[in-house]
Amino acid sequence: MKSVKAHLALILPLFAILFGAEYLIVFDRIVDNYETKLSAEYSLIVVADKALKPVDISRVDRLIDHVEPVDIDSILHRIRKETSEKNMKKIKSIMPSFYSVKLRHYPDKYTLKRLKEELLAIKGVKSVYLFEKMHDPLYEMLAFMKSNFLIFSLLMFVVGVLLILKQMYVWQLEHRERMQIMALFGAPVWLRSGVLFRLAIIDAFIALLLIVSGMFYLMKRSDLVAFLRDIDIDPQTLFHFNDIGLLAAIGFGISIFGTLVVVIRFKEEL
Amino acid sequence: MPSVIESNRTKLAYPRHEPVIKNATFKVQTGEFVFITGASGSGKSTLLKSMYGAMPPADGELVVGGMEIGKLSSSRLYKLRRHIGVIFQDYKLIGEWSVEKNVMLPLIIAGFPKDVCRAQAQKLLTHVKLSHKSDKFPLELSGGEQQRVAVARALAHNPFLILADEPTGNLDDYSSQVVWELLEKANEELKTTILVVTHHIPEMLSAEYRHLMIENGVLYEIR
Ligand SMILES: Nc1ncnc2c1ncn2[C@@H]1O[C@H](COP(=O)(O)OP(=O)(O)OP(=O)(O)O)[C@@H](O)[C@H]1O
Ligand SMILES: [Mg+2]
Repeated sequence: MKSVKAHLALILPLFAILFGAEYLIVFDRIVDNYETKLSAEYSLIVVADKALKPVDISRVDRLIDHVEPVDIDSILHRIRKETSEKNMKKIKSIMPSFYSVKLRHYPDKYTLKRLKEELLAIKGVKSVYLFEKMHDPLYEMLAFMKSNFLIFSLLMFVVGVLLILKQMYVWQLEHRERMQIMALFGAPVWLRSGVLFRLAIIDAFIALLLIVSGMFYLMKRSDLVAFLRDIDIDPQTLFHFNDIGLLAAIGFGISIFGTLVVVIRFKEEL
Repeated sequence: MPSVIESNRTKLAYPRHEPVIKNATFKVQTGEFVFITGASGSGKSTLLKSMYGAMPPADGELVVGGMEIGKLSSSRLYKLRRHIGVIFQDYKLIGEWSVEKNVMLPLIIAGFPKDVCRAQAQKLLTHVKLSHKSDKFPLELSGGEQQRVAVARALAHNPFLILADEPTGNLDDYSSQVVWELLEKANEELKTTILVVTHHIPEMLSAEYRHLMIENGVLYEIR
């Protein structure tokens, strides 16, 4: 009973830390996906009173993925019937050039404003249309929540690590007699502290197992999957197999770090 | 004969305390059997502590097995300890380990395979008449039985030096006899150097022993 409690005292904070981490990972992925989707649909228009080379536009900012000239002929096509060939030429010569600018990812408002100024600074550019009303409230909310979860997760991380260190000290007290005696017979550090490391690794493994099976359970819940589809989020973003590696690194990293702290602080008694 | 222990004006003091040993100057050669006596609180256990490196000298020079205690890195000190067998006054058995595993400890540390450790532990437990208790835990044993487990553990890895702190303090005449014979056998057959702190020097060993005594923080050679 006592040992179950001791294990839980390590597993629960570890689980909380991993849960926070997984939440952040998932959120990041959802926001990322959404950004890619938005930026695929989004472009801004640059109007210039002379023909520009697309590279001259795209090199002003790394955010720009590529620039395409807008084909004026297709626009003019519609008025062709009512206009004479001669007038058509005249119209064409006074028509400005249009360029559609595609971005690598969806920017926030401030970046967009900066970009606009950079584009306007290009010689020959008359105006830049941002289509700001494309800015999506759902995206804004996701980004806001992401930054909030980051703070929340950091807090959870700090509290979790403190709880883990505290449990490690309890372990150290429990194991002190044995570690002292082993040291008197010349046992190297790894042998003296072997049990601590074993416990830490087992508990990290259990915490990892809990979180992974929890995520699998969520993914199999049809109501949740349907809900995610409803709000236009791919349920696959919920869990990737790569996450297990990352979570394992975090979980084992923290518990081994905690053990090391305890082991390094071990002092022989006089 | 090379010295196993060379102590030159060794001073021993606990932090923020007056020195317990002010001057210990003595030499012990390989294969010697030495008794150390002194009043309670005179510093006998402290002197042994210094020899297995748990109490670095505050002054002077103490060399054990060719290594100067107090100037050793901790990894060298641990290596030295692996070749010393200590019988502690308070036994220092590991409570959550069986009697057998306790005796196996120095062998586990030396890295012997499990079955070798086990066979050797069984041999030693038979010598101290405790083979029938090998699966018990220390707290299930009487004080004297625990003491004999501690003796078996100190002998298990055939150390070059045995430091025994009142190894028969809790034993009846018969069990004391068993322990003295074991120590004598190790001394004669394996040339193990033995230092024993005791209040009663056994008569059976009285002919050949050396005797040191601590009084007022100074170590005297009695014979
Ligand atoms: N950890 C310690 N911290 C401070 N003083 C100590 C410590 N251990 C022992 N002492 C003091 O050192 C002195 C010598 O103690 P030590 O245990 O060496 O005596 P001893 O000769 O072995 O006595 P005994 O025959 O009773 O075992 C004592 O006065 C004791 O109070
Ligand atoms: Mg003593």
